[in-house]
Amino acid sequence: MIQRLLPFLSLIVLFVALSIASPHFLTATNLSSVVRQTAVINIMALGMTIIIIAGGIDLSVGSILAMGGVLGCRAMERGLPVPVGILIGVLAGLACGLANGVLIARLKIAPFIVTLGTLGMLRGLTLIITNGLPVHKLPPGFAFLGEGSVLGVPFVLWLLVVCAAITHVLLEHTRLGRYAFAIGSNQDAAVYAGIPVAFHTTAVYAIGGMLTGLSGMIEASRLSTGQPTAGQGYELLAIAAVVIGGGSLRGGEGSVAGTLIGAFIMGLLSNGSDLLGVSPYLQQVIIGGVIILAVTVDELRKRRMV
Amino acid sequence: MLLRLENIQKRFGGVTALAEGNLEVDAGEVHLLLGENGAGKSTLMKIVAGMYPRDGGRMLWQGGEVFLGSPAEAAAIGIAMVHQESLLAPHLTVGENIFLGRGEREPLGWVSRRRMAARAARLIEEHRFPLQADWRVEKLSPAGKQLVEICRAIQHGSSLLIFDEPTSSLSEAESTEVFRIVRALRERRMGVIYITHRLEELRAVGDRVTILRDGRTVHAGPLAEATIDQIIQHMVGREISAIYHRDPIEPGETLLRVEGLTRTGVLDNISFSVRAGEIVGLAGLVGAGRTELCRALFGIDPVEAGRVWVGGREARIRSPREAVRAGIALLTEDRQKTGLALGLAISSNVILANTSAICRGGFVSGAAEARVTADYIGKLRIKASSGRQLAGRLSGGNQQKVVIAKWLYRDTRVFLFDEPTRGIDVGAKTEVFELMDSLARSGAAILMVSSELPELLQAADRILVMRQGRLTAELPRDTTQEEIMRYATLTSSGEKST
Repeated sequence: MIQRLLPFLSLIVLFVALSIASPHFLTATNLSSVVRQTAVINIMALGMTIIIIAGGIDLSVGSILAMGGVLGCRAMERGLPVPVGILIGVLAGLACGLANGVLIARLKIAPFIVTLGTLGMLRGLTLIITNGLPVHKLPPGFAFLGEGSVLGVPFVLWLLVVCAAITHVLLEHTRLGRYAFAIGSNQDAAVYAGIPVAFHTTAVYAIGGMLTGLSGMIEASRLSTGQPTAGQGYELLAIAAVVIGGGSLRGGEGSVAGTLIGAFIMGLLSNGSDLLGVSPYLQQVIIGGVIILAVTVDELRKRRMV
Repeated sequence: MLLRLENIQKRFGGVTALAEGNLEVDAGEVHLLLGENGAGKSTLMKIVAGMYPRDGGRMLWQGGEVFLGSPAEAAAIGIAMVHQESLLAPHLTVGENIFLGRGEREPLGWVSRRRMAARAARLIEEHRFPLQADWRVEKLSPAGKQLVEICRAIQHGSSLLIFDEPTSSLSEAESTEVFRIVRALRERRMGVIYITHRLEELRAVGDRVTILRDGRTVHAGPLAEATIDQIIQHMVGREISAIYHRDPIEPGETLLRVEGLTRTGVLDNISFSVRAGEIVGLAGLVGAGRTELCRALFGIDPVEAGRVWVGGREARIRSPREAVRAGIALLTEDRQKTGLALGLAISSNVILANTSAICRGGFVSGAAEARVTADYIGKLRIKASSGRQLAGRLSGGNQQKVVIAKWLYRDTRVFLFDEPTRGIDVGAKTEVFELMDSLARSGAAILMVSSELPELLQAADRILVMRQGRLTAELPRDTTQEEIMRYATLTSSGEKST
């Protein structure tokens, strides 16, 4: 039980330590900036949680994020209203996820390979569509998505809470969620039980893509440009958030609460390093180390169980 | 005296796996090690083979006390273990597998494939194994893989060889071949420790027997002096009869009818039917098409011709999903692999095949899930703390019950059991038979594949025999093993003799 709470305890320890170490940490400006920075990874990681629980993985999320952001921004550049632009970004993400899902579930190709392929393809397509140039002319109202506040709380935090709640209910209380756990825990058993495995696998990737599309729009709003190069390397951060939060890359394990904690641990590590003047190069080393540490602890816990 | 174990102890965390493990093995003897699952047999053997350190007790090897830190150290003094097939590298050749990790070392770490192959060929020839050094392991039968494991174990001139359930995945003929090899090793004055669950094969190989129960050696002595019933009594610690006998009931309507099922080269015009309340045995050698028949009926493998009726209605079955919908369940020999999600709660497994029944608008009712699960835990007497317990934490017999609960909740009435008792200990076997019996009594039709003829004779109402993809006989329950083997092996026997 203590080990289950370990990620949560680490988060609290980290929070307290940073509050003591830096006078700039525990300020409204800094905390809201942590929330805004983390939200993009966080929402993306929610989708990754479902995918990893179902025994899959999506390496292409960084490219999906860029594709969603760019298409949504292009729509707004052409004069479509902000909500429609955001919707287009989200739907673009959904379509990309759907493509991943179809390739994985129908052609039965390993998710690692399929999404490694689409990682390259989607990035390339995004660059072709934009000719390699960022999309700039965005309506002023669009900034609210990433930078606005409601009742003094960053809008992205509200959005994150809503997305997390929906994902939690989806995983724990719907048939789709139950099937995701079953497929990830033992795909053969799921097939033998007559579960439409291909359909649900596809759905899982589509939902992941949709959430990633939303992250793409938030990222674009924060950068106030649709960057075709956005999101590079984010797949590692999203996977790390899930894994630090107790998700298993073997499938069948993971939770929304865990993923949120995992994402915030990484957010605080990054923010804390900035405040304490740790070099960004060293930050990468630290985050990598934390990922390995998290998996090791989890692995040791499981070995002791068996 | 080759090996002597005195009061060996081993704990894993707070769990005591071995409290008092005693064992003596002489050169030139086949020593049987028996016990129920969890009795500590494998743990004891892993200590002997250097895979676990012991927590207490003494291990004497040829008179002197030894401490083994790794399998390599065990191999160096002449102790080797024959593992199950999974430890082979499937893409490499027989010769490469035999010398895997301890090949012919040349200068600079170079490996001479030619010399390795030649050495493997000599080894194979010496023991008259039906193998070729350049065959790829993935193409071998389970028996062939077993032989490769044996070659690996004896290549160093070991003096003690440990077999962990060598025949559990083999057919009768292949088992006979393993026995021949074990006896040949005994002739060479090697010591052999042989772990098995198949009590019928004891006499074919063993000289002496040691029985473990709950981590303690409870009996040791010459095999000839013990009856099967006494052995079982030592194993389970209570009196149970080795002979289970089912009282057949009056069968009801025909629930499964198969006509002309054909898959080229695998199934040849198979026709039969099973009625409610019936348990029909399916006998045959490995490769006769029994498992393939189950797979075809369950929609895993496509068929070219044939019709199937379930409960009087014709069913088109092209996928497991359609089979489940039609009301067929397949329980394979590896329950864990195809039957259970071990990492999930019992309740998740129980509702797995019929989640929609407790769904409204895509939302699962947790209350209904708990109710249904509690119901089956009570009905099937599943030993669990609650429905939220992980399926992987249950014992093998209770896992089997969870699988059954899953299908009962789906209202399944046709059950295909493929080797339901493989790898299950004696006490649990009777429980599996009783479970099948109660299924049949509640109106299910059961087709049971088994390689163990005595079990078929005990549990089935009638027995179908397959050979090379065809049904060659349908025999009544009072037939004999010899009669079944005749139809399973002979090429001249007539067609289905009803």
